Amino acid sequence: MKSLVCISHVPDTTTKIKYDAAGKGLDKTGVTFVINPYDEFGLVRAIEIKEKTGSGDVTVLCVGGPEVEPTLRKALAIGADNAARVDMDPTDSRSVAEQIAAYAKGKGFDLIFAGKESIDSNGSAVPGMVAELLDLPFISLATSLEFEGDKAKVSREIDGGYEKLESSLPLVLSCQKGMAEWRIPNMRGIMMARTKPLEVVAGHPMDAYVLTKKLELPSAKAGCIYVEPENAAQLVDMLHDKGLI
Amino acid sequence: MAHQYVDLDTLKFILYQVHDLNSTLEASYFADHDLESVELFLNSIKDLSDQDLYPSFREMDEKPAIFKDQTIEVHPSVGTMMKKGGEMGLISAMFPYESDGFQLPASVHTAAHYIMEAANNNLPGYIGLTQGVAEILVHFGNQALNEIYVPKMAAGEWGGTMCLTEPQAGSSLADITTSARPTPEGHYQIKGQKIFISGGDHAYASNFVHLVLAKIEGGPAGTKGISLFVVPKFRPESDGQLTPNDVITTGDFQKLGQKGFCTTHLIFGENDNCRGWLVGEPHQGLKYMFRMMNGARIAVGRGGAAISMAAYQASLAYARERAQGRPVAQPEQKEPVLIIHHPDVRRMLLLQKAVSEGSLGLVLLAARYADLAATHESEAERARYQLLLELLTPMVKTYPADMGLVSVSNGLQVLGGFGFCSEYILQQYFRDIRIYSIYEGTTGIQSLDLLGRKLTMKGGQGLQLLAQEIGATLKAASQHDELRPYAEILGSKLPLTTQVVTFLMGFAMKGENERFVADATLFMEFLSTQVVAWIWLNMALHAKNDLVSGNGKYTREFYEAKIHTMKFYFKYELPKINGLAEAILNKEVLTLDGGMEIFA
Ligand SMILES: Cc1cc2nc3c(=O)[nH]c(=O)nc-3n(C[C@H](O)[C@H](O)[C@H](O)COP(=O)(O)OP(=O)(O)OC[C@H]3O[C@@H](n4cnc5c(N)ncnc54)[C@H](O)[C@@H]3O)c2cc1C
Repeated sequence: MKSLVCISHVPDTTTKIKYDAAGKGLDKTGVTFVINPYDEFGLVRAIEIKEKTGSGDVTVLCVGGPEVEPTLRKALAIGADNAARVDMDPTDSRSVAEQIAAYAKGKGFDLIFAGKESIDSNGSAVPGMVAELLDLPFISLATSLEFEGDKAKVSREIDGGYEKLESSLPLVLSCQKGMAEWRIPNMRGIMMARTKPLEVVAGHPMDAYVLTKKLELPSAKAGCIYVEPENAAQLVDMLHDKGLI
Repeated sequence: MAHQYVDLDTLKFILYQVHDLNSTLEASYFADHDLESVELFLNSIKDLSDQDLYPSFREMDEKPAIFKDQTIEVHPSVGTMMKKGGEMGLISAMFPYESDGFQLPASVHTAAHYIMEAANNNLPGYIGLTQGVAEILVHFGNQALNEIYVPKMAAGEWGGTMCLTEPQAGSSLADITTSARPTPEGHYQIKGQKIFISGGDHAYASNFVHLVLAKIEGGPAGTKGISLFVVPKFRPESDGQLTPNDVITTGDFQKLGQKGFCTTHLIFGENDNCRGWLVGEPHQGLKYMFRMMNGARIAVGRGGAAISMAAYQASLAYARERAQGRPVAQPEQKEPVLIIHHPDVRRMLLLQKAVSEGSLGLVLLAARYADLAATHESEAERARYQLLLELLTPMVKTYPADMGLVSVSNGLQVLGGFGFCSEYILQQYFRDIRIYSIYEGTTGIQSLDLLGRKLTMKGGQGLQLLAQEIGATLKAASQHDELRPYAEILGSKLPLTTQVVTFLMGFAMKGENERFVADATLFMEFLSTQVVAWIWLNMALHAKNDLVSGNGKYTREFYEAKIHTMKFYFKYELPKINGLAEAILNKEVLTLDGGMEIFA
């Protein structure tokens, strides 16, 4: 099985988000970046399939500048065989999807994995678009992937249950929890990752379809006001003042 | 999500910038590592710690290791630690490639263990000891010992222990009585008992490899007659079968803290059927063991630094949320303020920050010296770093432990009454860190080592080298207006150090050795407080350089907080050395004379 795993390079969930002075991007000072956790489910499943069948390979792909390379190295350390970086600023979902599709076209991938969304901009759009651009079947929110003959058997979560699907290959999947357990790279994997190929591919020149005009933090939450139990009347007054009762 | 127990930015700032990891990695021995792979490794260790170490921290305290059915019952996370230690290559990380290792620098290994210890100080010792034992075999064991034991330990399947202490011989190893009788078959018959053996028995290793100090019968008396043996719990036969080797576990010591890290009592050869295999040459046991012990001493300092960091993070989080009292200037203010605004609470938090980060700087410096002493291309430089390392080691063992305790105690105080309650974690850190001043040689013994051995070693060259290193930092710091006054303060203390050393050496010259070392522990505090001041000045210097260049990786607040903490250390901690010097230089002798009567 030949797999392509699309990886987003996203801020760690523990990061305290600040926007840059122009309010159009993230202030990256002191921010740690990680593999988008949903992409990592797909990555580990792709590696498991390769380990189980003993054949095939796993390529990881990220659209971005040189700063994403450590994230790709981590994917290599976890067990991917090759990495590619499409050298382009990932501006919007459509242009990213076009770059991925252009890279994947003609390379004979049986499976294209992505996450159900990236935890930075939560677009949930790229994998569906990639499938469309490559004219491939697409299953979103996949929680498991097995094979029977030349068919893929996929579960996906739906409201109140699971849907069991079957698809021909090649196939595009967006993954979520359940697909696999995350793996922590070990010493050997980390050292091997240094010598695994990481190819830099020029992006296709294009303008963004959608432009970010402004990023804003939510307004600060109002603080808590504590009212002592014996001051119930004060509470009533406050609620009254606010027009709530 | 695990709560914040470690400050990775500070760890990386010190490792990468202050102690210039890149220059360490220039050695050909480390050619297969670079900053990117180190970063990946440390982040992996943080993930492992969040996932597998931190969650069981409290529970290991609440359900301590306990002796039951002739073995020790430990928390199941010990199994995870051993397994992950093997799978992730943590146990063999520093071994050479020939021994299936990864030639990881000690600096990086130290940083990794520091993260794990901050997450849960009860667990890393299990793999740390296993690694230490395997490392001794890699360096001093013969081929057979290496083939039989090292791969199993590297895989985390077999555990390792260091067995020095006996009921009558703790600080004084000369007095051990465990004996080794040679046999015609080549192995030795071991007989004796060892107490306080960490990680000595549990269900998560299928065998234990005890490194036992024992005296070969008929050998020289005292430490000169001590040899080192591999004594497995089950001895591997030629067909690979494991036979019980007459090593009996008779108990587990119940303790104040670190309750999840078992501390066992082992009896060797009660039925005269305990076999041991000599490591290296006879009567050289202490020399070999010292390799492990020097590593273990840095590891103890590392653990102290890690616990004080974890406690600082917990106190800080509490102080940011707890509202109490009004500002002195606004007593009429309606709402109480967060306690983090009270100067006295800020003082306690800054003390925690100064001690925990200063200790980390010290520990990582020792690790850097260990790397350079082992791999520098120039022989003269290797010798120079070795001497610096030897001088620093007793301080690295002691300062983070002793001052770590003070810092955690202040952290507990930040929580007020809740600090004393089991519901909050501070009390566990407070209990756990207490052992660090005791094992691997007590503070008293480390202080004797510092003053009695390390200071006089090679004609006192170590201290001269250290003074040169400090001098270089003073010079560089003086280039910045903001730092110059602090460089001058530290510089102004050096004559006092010379005075104290000359005074003490005077006793040594006269052969008054007891008087020479009577106040060794005061001297330890005197010198290590200055060394940590130097560490802080160096951290502030790197922070300032980054602020000035504007090329730093971290935020302005991060760098400014480093400089601020340095200033705090210089105002609140460094002046203590004047009082210590006064006590040391005082000619009155109160601890040597007077016999038992002074306790009347
Ligand atoms: C939890 C725990 C884990 C341990 N793990 C191990 C282990 O894995 N392997 C192992 O071999 N040991 C281990 N130890 C033993 C530990 O190293 C010793 O307890 C320690 O070295 C002190 O020895 P002792 O307890 O016999 O104290 P003692 O040597 O009796 O010391 C008592 C006091 O006297 C002081 N003192 C002793 N001699 C001198 C001197 N010459 N000059 C000045 N002061 C002196 C000491 O500083 C101390 O304050 C462990 C101990 C504990 C508590």
